[in-house]
Amino acid sequence: MLLFWAVIIFLAVLVLAPVVPTLYQSLLDRPLYEAGGTLSLDNYVKLFTEAGFGQVALNTVLFAVMTTVLTLVIAVPMAVVVVRTKIPGGRFFAAAMQWPFFISSLILGFGWIAMYGPAGFVSVKVQQVLGFVPWNLYSIPGMALTEAVALAPIAYTFCAGALRQSDASLESAAQVCGAGPLRILFQVILPMLRPPIVYSSILVISMSIETLSVPLLYGQPVNIQVFSTFLFRNGLQSINPDYGVLGAASTIILAVTVGLVFIQAKLLKDAQRFVSVRGKATRPRRLDLGWLKWVSVAAISIYVVMGALVPIVGLIFRSFTFIFTPLQSPLQSLTMANYQRIFNYAAYIQSIKNSLIVAGLGAVLVSLVALLAVMVARRSTFRYRRVAEYLALAPQAMPGIIVGIGLFWAFAYAPFGLGSFIQGTLWALIIGFGLRALPSGFGSLAPSVMQIGQELDNAARVSGADWIKAFTMILAKLITPAFLGALVLTFVTMLKEYSPAVFLGSADTNIIGTTMLELWVQGNTGSVAALATIQIAITAAFVGLAGLLLKGHNRDA
Amino acid sequence: MPDVKVSNLNKIFGDNVVLDNVDFTIKDGEFFTLLGPSGCGKSTTLNCIAGLEQPSSGAISVGDTTFVDTDKKLFVPPEGRNLGMVFQSYALWPHKTIADNLAMPLQIRKVDKTEQRRLIDEALDKVGLLHLRERYPHQMSGGQQQRVALARALVYSPSVLLLDEPLSNLDAKLREQARAWLKRLQEDLGITTVYVTHDQDEALALSDRIAVMSNGYMIQVGTPTEIYETPATAEVAAFVGRCNFLEATVTDVTSTGAALKLEANGQQMTVDTPEKVTVGDHVTVAVRPEKLAVLPADDTAMPGTNVISAEVLTTSYLGSRFEYDLKVGDHVVQVVNDRGGLAGAVNLTVDPDACLIFPQADVLSEDAQALLTVAP
Repeated sequence: MLLFWAVIIFLAVLVLAPVVPTLYQSLLDRPLYEAGGTLSLDNYVKLFTEAGFGQVALNTVLFAVMTTVLTLVIAVPMAVVVVRTKIPGGRFFAAAMQWPFFISSLILGFGWIAMYGPAGFVSVKVQQVLGFVPWNLYSIPGMALTEAVALAPIAYTFCAGALRQSDASLESAAQVCGAGPLRILFQVILPMLRPPIVYSSILVISMSIETLSVPLLYGQPVNIQVFSTFLFRNGLQSINPDYGVLGAASTIILAVTVGLVFIQAKLLKDAQRFVSVRGKATRPRRLDLGWLKWVSVAAISIYVVMGALVPIVGLIFRSFTFIFTPLQSPLQSLTMANYQRIFNYAAYIQSIKNSLIVAGLGAVLVSLVALLAVMVARRSTFRYRRVAEYLALAPQAMPGIIVGIGLFWAFAYAPFGLGSFIQGTLWALIIGFGLRALPSGFGSLAPSVMQIGQELDNAARVSGADWIKAFTMILAKLITPAFLGALVLTFVTMLKEYSPAVFLGSADTNIIGTTMLELWVQGNTGSVAALATIQIAITAAFVGLAGLLLKGHNRDA
Repeated sequence: MPDVKVSNLNKIFGDNVVLDNVDFTIKDGEFFTLLGPSGCGKSTTLNCIAGLEQPSSGAISVGDTTFVDTDKKLFVPPEGRNLGMVFQSYALWPHKTIADNLAMPLQIRKVDKTEQRRLIDEALDKVGLLHLRERYPHQMSGGQQQRVALARALVYSPSVLLLDEPLSNLDAKLREQARAWLKRLQEDLGITTVYVTHDQDEALALSDRIAVMSNGYMIQVGTPTEIYETPATAEVAAFVGRCNFLEATVTDVTSTGAALKLEANGQQMTVDTPEKVTVGDHVTVAVRPEKLAVLPADDTAMPGTNVISAEVLTTSYLGSRFEYDLKVGDHVVQVVNDRGGLAGAVNLTVDPDACLIFPQADVLSEDAQALLTVAP
């Protein structure tokens, strides 16, 4: 009982730490830590009248809507084609759709700029051939396209999951009635996708509102601002930041994302009613689209190759060259100088070490906290067990940059000067990143724990084991594979993460992400590419190794 | 071994009443079955005894030990009750060998190693699986897993054995054999047993007493014979065994029973019943298929029996017997008979004391009613 309360209180403190100071600051006429503040709504008034927030809001809405539409245009047909039709290399494409998960959108943004930016490799080549470049990456549609490429896997996963779950006999029934493949596609399969389309759109909208990377990289040079870059600029780049306005803007964004996630959770709950068939696995027969399948294969290849592969490979190429342009063969200017610069400066090496420490230690801590939360939420008879679940999932609705700002204030305001021990240390980053990674840890553990029949621990209880013994003797062994899976997932998530660090980091606690941003601002694109390559290599090595280990483990069980 | 006493057990989830004042006592060494359709509250009752669920109100005690008493705010957690339980899915711990599965409850009870070994071997021997003690659960057949689960529930000599549909995952043939084996084992051990099932054959074959449950109520508690021969309500008659239900109106009341007019075809019949009825009452007549006899239309029936004219719709040959669907008015009546080859117009005969009457009740589902109605 005490343990349950401890878990809930711990989660509550963790989740509320960045939120409460933000709300409070938004109503305060001076910085939180200065004495004598009075409460008022002035900050909100100021935000909408003086700070140019109207244009920012408009940009954000445009960006979010365009991103969502493009994401769906990419993801939905792809899910249908890959899961439900016969295409050559279907398995390969299904796996390829997972790749962008592992790459941070910051790196993807760098890659896109390196290839399709105004001076990018592809742009210059096109300029040579056509005499002009028919696109402008540094625009809202440009941002939206890049973001859509990064977020498409999420919508794809939702739709593909729904398609795999749906009963194949529905299609067989249509076929027996005499419907051809296209009719089945449009009259049976697509209508079933309505629920996943709706809730993945909401998720994509909220993610495009909170994302910092792409708007920051593309928007800064041409002065297009959205919510997140507005916070970035006002909180970090101005010499005398107006904390009140910052708090008010954060509160509004928080309200929007919380609202969206709430709607999404509600829809997701209702959508589960659509799932009629459980358990018995029916292997769906795949439809044959005829010549159309070659069109689909071409479309998917363009997405995978042009959207993800070319920018990433380009970025890796860039890291080994002085200049990267089709005007001169990159092979002529091969160099290790970009890497040398990184390895010659202790600060840059430190940032790689910091990233590994934060992700490594953080992954262990987050997975443990997530496991505790799952056990309380799904495996106890504790009266407030649902609260544990809501708290663990709540950070979903908290943009990284707001987690950063909020925790920054929380540490500044913490009682007994506790905050000063944490502020500016790696612990601050571990807490911030960990908070953001908690929902994915919870999300990956909860289904695995649910899969282990409740009867297994009931059997232990009846034969004399108390709650804790039942856990250590039975469940702990059985969830080990799931726990390792959660470790891998949270490690990758935290290695990619950087936006809370923008506010929480200090000169000593730079991580790969913040160092890349710093180098980028200095115009050191070669070294940015080198760091990005290092991060990709770490991720690939870790995921590959983990894959091998987990595989071996599964064989034992 | 002690009595199990369950008093005024209630369980409420929100607005949903899962258990409504369930009250019964199981005698020492008795095989007691909770029988009912899914959702009737039988598993909830069992889980309350096991301590896996907390009742909203009520008390449960075994012998002198009280497990739950909501008035005294007393609740003993499952691990403190020393009960044995077999789950529907067997719930064998997949990462432990059979011997280790049995060892865990003993380790918890701090039994020393040599004694553990002896008890495990003894329990496995009892279920005939001693030679498989080092296997893992997934290396065994369903029937073997079921016996291991039973051995695990018995190895620490629990005071009561709880069985939650332990046979429902076995295939039909094996289930019958497992049933007989289980009955013998329980009689040998003399352990008080609470058995939950939705299978009426299982309940009739195994139990000393059966409690029939529906919608959280306990409708009737009695021996298998009482439950089958004198069901308390039409619902029990419908659930335990097969039964024909015919609507009728009381036309006369006699010293031993009543004369009725069947609504299906307007014919008269007499019924012996202790039930108090008055002329003009609408009642439901319940007759088991094996209590009915079919005669060719020109045969004469035994005096004193009711004769109802009917027509053969279908004959099914079931090996040991024949099953007829007969048309009585607009109603289908099912009859089990040793005699085959009947067709066309026949006479249906039934003894007055083989019929039960209940106040008019809708016991059959709409589907069942539709299937049992034909054009007159």
